[in-house]
Amino acid sequence: MATIEVENLTKYYGDIRGVDGLSFTVDSGEVFGFLGPNGAGKTTAIRTLLGLLSPTSGSATVLGADIRNESELIEAKRRIGYLPDHLGFNEELTGTQILDYHASVKGENRRAELLELFTPPVDRAIRGYSSGNKRMLGIIQAFMHDPDLVVLDEPTSGLDPLKQERFNEFLREERDRGTTILFSSHILSEVRQICDRVGILRDGKLVELEEIETLLNRSGKRVRVQTTHDGREALAALDGVIDIYQFDDGMQFIYTGGYNTLFAELSKHDIQEADISEPPLEDIFLHYYGDESAPTAEVSSDV
Amino acid sequence: MFDTARFEGKRRVRGTAILAVGLSLYSAFIVWYFTVLEDVDAEEVFADAPPALIEAFGIAQLGTIEGFLGAQIYMFLWLVGLGIYFAYTGAGLVATDIEQGRMDLLGVFPISRARLLSEKFAALIVPLLVLNLVVGVVIYVLVLGIGESVDPVRLIMAHVLSIPYLLVCAAIGMLLSVVVDRASIAERSAMGLIFLLWLGDSVVSGAGDYSWLAYLSPTYYYEPTPVLIDGSYELLHSLVLLGIFAGLFVISIMLFKRRDL
Repeated sequence: MATIEVENLTKYYGDIRGVDGLSFTVDSGEVFGFLGPNGAGKTTAIRTLLGLLSPTSGSATVLGADIRNESELIEAKRRIGYLPDHLGFNEELTGTQILDYHASVKGENRRAELLELFTPPVDRAIRGYSSGNKRMLGIIQAFMHDPDLVVLDEPTSGLDPLKQERFNEFLREERDRGTTILFSSHILSEVRQICDRVGILRDGKLVELEEIETLLNRSGKRVRVQTTHDGREALAALDGVIDIYQFDDGMQFIYTGGYNTLFAELSKHDIQEADISEPPLEDIFLHYYGDESAPTAEVSSDV
Repeated sequence: MFDTARFEGKRRVRGTAILAVGLSLYSAFIVWYFTVLEDVDAEEVFADAPPALIEAFGIAQLGTIEGFLGAQIYMFLWLVGLGIYFAYTGAGLVATDIEQGRMDLLGVFPISRARLLSEKFAALIVPLLVLNLVVGVVIYVLVLGIGESVDPVRLIMAHVLSIPYLLVCAAIGMLLSVVVDRASIAERSAMGLIFLLWLGDSVVSGAGDYSWLAYLSPTYYYEPTPVLIDGSYELLHSLVLLGIFAGLFVISIMLFKRRDL
């Protein structure tokens, strides 16, 4: 049985759309990435799945519990860890006091181990914490009761790169232990490093949902070629060529067609240099989000 | 069990201690002031004051220590001051946690919302009991200290009967806290509401045809001064308060279960 099953989940705040017709499943032991810019509906979706918001329509189960059924969900919550996007702790309390409280409600069999990995100054009052320290305290409370499902909303914001790397490593170990992780982020490199599958949210809708590799395949290859003027023109006219950037003696484009056609065309021209690679996830992202924010094609002279 | 009540209760200890000291100091000032005013005939001083004012401040009985305590401490501090304080505190129960993003973590605890809210409310027992106990004992000792005496049973009753009233004030705050999204609005409207209810009760109570309006105010059902003076009180009034409290509590929980956090 899937750990999270979402069926046509819709949440409106009055007239304002949070998420609209969201459907996806997260399998047990999987790291699922929820990708989207701020305001896309990631937090709304997560908070609805955790029972903090009641859905306007649609349904979902989390660890087998119907999110509309409070008593079912309470049982499930014993096995859920959650790191919210915005962490509110009582400022006057120390990290230890906060963790003690969470421990008394949820349990703490991994607390000591986590405190060795993540090192917030637990003896100090929260008001003196940096955002990174708060985040680390949040990570500890999310994992301390050894949950089967962990929901992380923008978990690395505020963490310095070193801690971020340690956290990513920790997440991989968690996945290997069989923990299911729902991970939201607007940072593509992060999602790419950690997640098995990705859902892209835009304006409250799930735009694309593929295994990352499939996503990369479908979104084409980035091709860089140095060739003659005629060659460049012929390539630009080829079916499946998009996002063309012209250089002095070459060009770069995204190619979504088959390799054979591309190579057949390339072989007709004098090619000085060619490079075919995966496009950066950022470009794929722009592809799904439309190109209103994409940089306009410009001629670069120093290539 | 009751982890949230314990946690929230501990958080209230510091504020409660400060408040207990403050209220004790104020009480000490009032008791000392009584010794200064002993020779002044209060009724004469306020002879020209409107009846509503005399009623509101219990001026008629200012000449005795019981009447003086009743007016200056129990009417002023307990009925109005602590009424507003508990309404304010109740109004912060949910709204501040939501506003400051704490409710996200509390909301995913494996406990029901009804239990979460009940336990948060239950933590108000700390100030409710400590303030009554500490300030009650302080007042008793101080009164003995100036060579006067007050019947301890009546003093205890004045405090005990305040509990249903203060529970109602806190529950009014809690209801606002559940309904209103912003903490500052919930808190201010809770404080304002208690003050207005008290004011309304005072104004209409001597106003003939409209005196029944006073029944709408919880302040009507807690009268500390008569308890102190001759030990008289209406048990029914306390039961009414407990009934209002139960109603507000149940409504708050029902609304809290349904609302988005």
